[in-house]
Amino acid sequence: MVRCAADPPYPILDDVIRLHHLTKRYGDTLAVDDLSFTVEPGHVTGFLGPNGAGKSTTMRLILGLDTPTSGEALVNGRPYTTLRRPMAQVGALLDAGAVHGGRTAYHHLLCLARTNDIGERRVAEVLDLVGLTGVARRRVGGFSLGMRQRLGIAAALLGDPRVLMFDEPVNGLDPDGVRWIRDLMRSLAAEGRTVLLSSHLMSEMALTADRIVIMGRGKLIAEATIQELTTRYPTLEDAYLALTAGSVQFGAAR
Amino acid sequence: MNMLSSEWLKIRSVRSTGLLLLLSLGAILLGAAIAWMAAGMYDDATPAKRATASIAELEEVVIIVPQLCMGILGVLAITSEYATGVIRTSLTAVPRRWPVLAAKAAVVGAISLLTGSVAIFGTYFLARQVIGDRFSGTYLTPFLDRLPTLAATGLTVCVFALLGLGLGALTRSTAGAVAVLVGLAYVIPMFVGKLPSPWKDWLGSMMISALPRQISGVPFKSSVYGSSLPPAAAVAVLAAYALVPVLAGTWLLRHRDA
Amino acid sequence: MRAVISSEWLKLRSVASTYYALGAAGLMVVLGVVWSVYASGLADERGSVRAAAPEEGFLPLVQISLAVIGVLAITAEHATGMIRTSLTVVPRRGVLLFAKTAVVTVVTFAAATAIIMTTYAVSRLLAGERRLGFNESSFAEDVPTLLAAGLSVTVLAIVGLGLGAAVRSTAGALVSVVSLLFVLPGIANYLPAPWNTRIAAFMLPNLTPQLTGERLSRRLGDGILPPWAALLALLAYAAVALGAGLHMLSKRDA
Repeated sequence: MVRCAADPPYPILDDVIRLHHLTKRYGDTLAVDDLSFTVEPGHVTGFLGPNGAGKSTTMRLILGLDTPTSGEALVNGRPYTTLRRPMAQVGALLDAGAVHGGRTAYHHLLCLARTNDIGERRVAEVLDLVGLTGVARRRVGGFSLGMRQRLGIAAALLGDPRVLMFDEPVNGLDPDGVRWIRDLMRSLAAEGRTVLLSSHLMSEMALTADRIVIMGRGKLIAEATIQELTTRYPTLEDAYLALTAGSVQFGAAR
Repeated sequence: MNMLSSEWLKIRSVRSTGLLLLLSLGAILLGAAIAWMAAGMYDDATPAKRATASIAELEEVVIIVPQLCMGILGVLAITSEYATGVIRTSLTAVPRRWPVLAAKAAVVGAISLLTGSVAIFGTYFLARQVIGDRFSGTYLTPFLDRLPTLAATGLTVCVFALLGLGLGALTRSTAGAVAVLVGLAYVIPMFVGKLPSPWKDWLGSMMISALPRQISGVPFKSSVYGSSLPPAAAVAVLAAYALVPVLAGTWLLRHRDA
Repeated sequence: MRAVISSEWLKLRSVASTYYALGAAGLMVVLGVVWSVYASGLADERGSVRAAAPEEGFLPLVQISLAVIGVLAITAEHATGMIRTSLTVVPRRGVLLFAKTAVVTVVTFAAATAIIMTTYAVSRLLAGERRLGFNESSFAEDVPTLLAAGLSVTVLAIVGLGLGAAVRSTAGALVSVVSLLFVLPGIANYLPAPWNTRIAAFMLPNLTPQLTGERLSRRLGDGILPPWAALLALLAYAAVALGAGLHMLSKRDA
């Protein structure tokens, strides 16, 4: 299963997220401003930016949850909303809290699985993979944030997709869980999958990601490999702080 | 005092409050529109028909709108906190807990009392203006004779709001609280009206909408409800609708994990 | 489509609120028993009584309880944020709403009809040979009324679903349903004649009696719609609400 990351097994147009002049305006605010970049397979691409930079909006636009004002976001060369069985192509974790608290973990996943003709066996598999088998029959309402993150990751993996997006998956996880996510992300990328990962934990990102995309105020600020950034700056954190200095909207004076 | 201003700010800053107030006061226009329609038909009618024409007390008909809206306002004041999880923050800030519900009751009660009064008197005066000296009876009665009924009817709007708040605190669910509120306000009265006597009159007298007329001692000529309670008892029943659920909710709030 | 319907069926089955709502609606049977026993007792004293049929008198209870199922089928997803996950796995929004409609239709019609028929059968059995008013017509005569009552429950649940999708709030959708069921008909009663009958004839709860050619009420007299027009009006309520829901769901960012 493990392939060399440097040698993507698929032609370059497959398993790719491509943003093309993507723009989203909510009333007077430009949440995403003429954003173009490509997320390629075989790497973990870290998605960074200050709060309110437009990262989550970008992910929602990619998933067709929000309609772009102009431009387009393509997954495998097509708009997400035209995919027939999207779970087999794209898996996403946007908001771990967005589950009906009255449903059990097993039923929650089975509800999602059925929409894409995924069987019960696969549900059991992903539950096992994220370590929730023991609590599968418990209601999600009683889950900790860390358990919800694991449930969200399980949902993203259900269709065994080649493209994966995770918005702040590390939030609320214990050190064990953080380590687990890091290994999971890296192994997914090593299998030649496309992984887009947003996080605010710079030290963690430096360990997990190969490439970095930085956004600020809806615009693309930088696109580089970790190596390129850490040659120019002492650490990834320094690189991030220097690059986003002009685009922090919500923060204490520094 | 801080609690009050905090709850006031909370309720003022949600969009549904404005919408519910707008709808509640829309009842005045609805009442005026019906009055205008009735007046037009009266003018076109033959003298013989005019002699027997009658009109319902419109303000007591359209009050159903602010009743429902303020009931929902009361429900949302507490269930929206449960839905979003804000309740935990609220209760952490006030560990004794009961002041949270008390402050909500004060704010919701004040808003709904004001809204109910504006709606009932607004509809009454506007309808009276439109009807003029048409139709015998209703709108020719001196205002002071109508005042007790109108005031008591306006008060029911406040009772609905507190009832909603109490049910919300008990059920912690918007859908559950609204369903029970609707059951108490509409479903139960509907089949109480179909009960054989003496149950019909006995239970019918306890329905919220039957209470204002028993408080003012001016019974309806024909009503699906009963009228067997003396004013003091009717006041007590009305107060029980408002207070029992809120008190039960307060007790649960203190003894249940948030 | 079959896959999405099976997912929606599981969603409905796997939350407690569905069972609370069914339980509340099922109270009709209990109330029907109490009612029949009580009316029978009176009849034994007086020879005969004219009591209302329990499956008609308690119908609003079933209507409002099962309408809650329709409302929550969509607004619970908005309240929890689950809607974003649902739309990620089923990007075609019309398909999602259609699947919900199908499941809500079948479940509410089956439940309503079962509850109504059971109440009917039990109350007639308890009444025996006594003359209670409601048990003096044959089953064949009553069937259309019973089916029309079940249909009215389903239409109300669909209206709740459609309006829920349009307003995205449990409270908002429930207020709309309650307005259609109780508030507006209540006010229409007090319009000056003949407008009270003309307008009340189009009110949701008054369409059921017109469907089978019965009188509306003592105050309103006979209806003005022939059965086919009443059926059309009933279906129009469902269609308009669903149309509004589909429009808003498709147009808006999730």
